[in-house]
Amino acid sequence: MGGHRREANAEPNLTPILDMVFQLITFFMLVINFKTASMDMSLRLPAVGSARPAEIRGIDLVVLNVDRRGTLRVFGNEIRDIGGYIAQEAQASLLAARRYNPALNPGDDLPSMIVIRADKRTPFRLLNRVLVACQENGFRNFSLKALSRREEP
Amino acid sequence: MPRKKRAPEVELNVTAMLDMAFQLLAFFILTFKPAPIEGDVVLRMPRAAPTTVVQKAPAAGADRKNTNPVQGLTSLVITVLGDDNGSIQGLAIGDSQVGGLPEFATRLPTVLKDEGSGFDQVLVQVDSRLDYEGLMQVIDVCTRQQLANGKKLTKLSFVELPSGR
Repeated sequence: MGGHRREANAEPNLTPILDMVFQLITFFMLVINFKTASMDMSLRLPAVGSARPAEIRGIDLVVLNVDRRGTLRVFGNEIRDIGGYIAQEAQASLLAARRYNPALNPGDDLPSMIVIRADKRTPFRLLNRVLVACQENGFRNFSLKALSRREEP
Repeated sequence: MPRKKRAPEVELNVTAMLDMAFQLLAFFILTFKPAPIEGDVVLRMPRAAPTTVVQKAPAAGADRKNTNPVQGLTSLVITVLGDDNGSIQGLAIGDSQVGGLPEFATRLPTVLKDEGSGFDQVLVQVDSRLDYEGLMQVIDVCTRQQLANGKKLTKLSFVELPSGR
């Protein structure tokens, strides 16, 4: 009896597929936006002509999502004690700002910026609770989010 | 001369690397959520304060040369009324009623650029029923304006009006 013939070694060349996968990974890594974690994407923002993406660098941002019922959400968590939460944020902002400006005292204007993302149907009385809480705790810089008219769905 | 020994062929096993790369790719695809590009309307909301700078204003009747009745006022008061649907029902600049948003956008620059006015901020009295969209339409008009000193208007503050006023 003759011996078994050795089977041909058919190994696929994985190098091109690996190249392609790494290119796809690079693409997704470049376009990923971790900021969306702080945004409540279920909110329908109003469309405003003058709203432009602002160059906000080097400023601490506090992103507050307010839905049409006035519920405040931060990173997906519902905040029931609005005043208490804003006071905590103000305290954290003050401590952070003191590293650069040790003369800053409680009650002074805070350098952090409050980013308000509210549903377009939110009544002002519900939105104003959040605004007043921020102002009472020393926040002066606000950014109101809106879609520019071109982005309007 | 001795013949060179052929180096042994080394094959890298890329299967493990490919598995890991596919896992990373799956993660990025599953978490990919393209967000619409959002715009910002940046405001500086000053601390709540009286609309008249009392320290700077002279006593009533003391300055006989002053013919400008609004001298000393630094905040322009704008009133926005809303209906039950949250839309804009009425607008007023100071005490004068404005027909609608287009007329408001036309009249506001003339009031703010008036040399004698000296307005440096706007106080918006907002109906508690007005929704965020209506408010943003008013803010949109305000933030496009320039003051008499040529600076852009960025100082706005809001006061809530009780509904039905």
